[in-house]
Amino acid sequence: MRPASAIARQWDFRVSVTAIACNRRGNWIAATLGDGSVRLLPASDEADAPKLLPLHDGVSLSLQADADDHAFLSGGDDGKAFIIDPELDAPTLLVEHKQQWIDHVASSPEGLRAYSIGKTAHVLNAEGQPHGQPLTHPSSIGGLAFSPNGKRLAASHYNGVSLWWMNAKDSAPSRLEWKGSHLPVLWSPDGKMVVTGMQESALHGWRLSDMAEMQMQGYAAKIHSLAFTARGKYLATSGAEQVICWPFFGGGPWGKAPMTLGGSDGHLVTRVAPHPRDELVAAGYDDGMIILAPLDGRMEVMLQYPLAPQGCAVTGLVWNAAGDCLFAGLENGNLLLFTLASVSRAARGM
Amino acid sequence: MTDAKIPVTVLTGYLGAGKTTLLNHILSEPHGKKYAVIVNEFGEIGIDNQLVVGSDEEIFEMNNGCICCTVRGDLIRVIAGLLKRAAGFDGILIETTGLADPAPVAQTFFVDADIAARAKLDSIVTVVDAKHLPLRLRDSREAEEQIAFADTIVLNKTDLVSAEELAQLENDIHAINRFARIVRAERGNAPLEHILGLGGFDLDRILAHTPTFLHDEDEDEHEHHHNHGCGGHCQCGHHHHHHDEPKHERHDPTITSVSLRADKPLDPAKFEDWIGELRATKGNDLLRYKGILDLQGSDQRFVLQGVHMMMDGSNLAPWPADAKRQSRLVFIGRKLDEQALRDGFAACVA
Repeated sequence: MRPASAIARQWDFRVSVTAIACNRRGNWIAATLGDGSVRLLPASDEADAPKLLPLHDGVSLSLQADADDHAFLSGGDDGKAFIIDPELDAPTLLVEHKQQWIDHVASSPEGLRAYSIGKTAHVLNAEGQPHGQPLTHPSSIGGLAFSPNGKRLAASHYNGVSLWWMNAKDSAPSRLEWKGSHLPVLWSPDGKMVVTGMQESALHGWRLSDMAEMQMQGYAAKIHSLAFTARGKYLATSGAEQVICWPFFGGGPWGKAPMTLGGSDGHLVTRVAPHPRDELVAAGYDDGMIILAPLDGRMEVMLQYPLAPQGCAVTGLVWNAAGDCLFAGLENGNLLLFTLASVSRAARGM
Repeated sequence: MTDAKIPVTVLTGYLGAGKTTLLNHILSEPHGKKYAVIVNEFGEIGIDNQLVVGSDEEIFEMNNGCICCTVRGDLIRVIAGLLKRAAGFDGILIETTGLADPAPVAQTFFVDADIAARAKLDSIVTVVDAKHLPLRLRDSREAEEQIAFADTIVLNKTDLVSAEELAQLENDIHAINRFARIVRAERGNAPLEHILGLGGFDLDRILAHTPTFLHDEDEDEHEHHHNHGCGGHCQCGHHHHHHDEPKHERHDPTITSVSLRADKPLDPAKFEDWIGELRATKGNDLLRYKGILDLQGSDQRFVLQGVHMMMDGSNLAPWPADAKRQSRLVFIGRKLDEQALRDGFAACVA
């Protein structure tokens, strides 16, 4: 017999969830759907009927917390980028580029917003005006990310990453080079390292102070989801049957084996979400399984068993700022809420 | 979710051969289906209500030690974006530039697991201009490669050449690519059943279509005579000339087809060693290959197909009780050493 469900609340949107995000303030959740709409709900166990807003004519390709700490930023295949304020009745159009796709968006805590169209990244200031010239790259941009202090923008592409200073207008970028196609890009919380997920199902990283490089391999699939755990201790990653966590302390990741959490027989982790404060990582799988795994070697807690018969992928996983609510979006259109209370209830029943 | 995979059709062809005309023909036929179209340049697609996406061809080498392993980075990005749409289209059509090498397009569907899970390459359709093909074959390596990779050749603008020239063209095409189906057209008006839904890369379709691409040795003899004029089996509807008539500037092919047959079962281990070695050492020159094998110790027909070093094979169906058990294998490639292939294959007999 299966134990009590760890799910506190559940919504069925009947259309695949393509991404979910939490705003910077950590009190609202946005979920973009395969029909181009967005659903918004408070990031707490008070979460009630999600608010529906039409958004893109096609579909959102990138959803992030906005520079406005209350809002979200979304770019889509209709060439539009929107700012979504959960308190307003409609999203605000930021830019429109007809017949093009906005592949990636990013925002900085300092108020800058960036988006990319193919090889070109555009940066806008807090007023929505261009901040410097468009930034061109040798090939299409695979990922965009501002450094934690907002002073630099990283754009990944084929054969490396370009780092642009935001206060030096029209300057050339510094290039981090490594052969191959680089996709998602991530800064360490201290801003000292940059890591990318690659087409070759591997990670590559650079320590900026001395350009020491790191290669992290052994994955079964491309790494779409990577995030540092609380205080930057581990880098948690998707792309394998277990959650692969690379140590970024004690000289690591150089020469260190990763810690592995959870495990599945033949199914892969699609999303990871480190807890904002504690040494815990939530992970979602391509068959719908969701686990919560401590980094201290204790047994993981099963939040959702694989979905029968063939499963469906977890496409979004995010904590609220308080770390007491975890939201999961699935390809089957379900949005799930797990709370500390519902999880401990289920854990006791196990 | 677990919907059937989205079929993808690739349209290649030299500049001016009539790709866009064929594309418009496909889109405007009353088939009731909706296609997402990936084009290199906007402009001449005259159909509203279709999802048209512009994309620059970006060829990425995979950093995995396989020299011929290239993929189309732009397709990975665009198809992944298209697949986020919950509803929208029945298939994807990719129009390549005139000089495009079809190999990276095909390999993208082997190499990228995310795409392979949701979309499948249905076939490569190459449009050739009947009037200019002989010239193209003399001066363009790309034109020859596009023919070599094709499942279907649309021989377009047939109204601009004589019946004799047409017959010669078909012979020239078949000398390069033994298993392509040639469809004649005047202004891109090829029947859609020869363009869409072909399953050119499906192993089970290879079984179903055995007779059309794997000729008997005897037929090969006919085929050979064909090449010197217009042999007995052509449908060009005129009386048959002697060898080398009509006068025709012969294309000296660097790409050829070699078809192999064995009437005794093959030793699976020997075959695996041979094909493995061949792929490793000659993979760059092997463009496409397909085969149905009778392996010793198995009652199943083993079906395989490949592009360069990438091969896909499986035991598919039992031999029919009344069928002659026989192994057949066809290679299309550059600088094929026919005798070495024959000897190597013969040595695999158990």
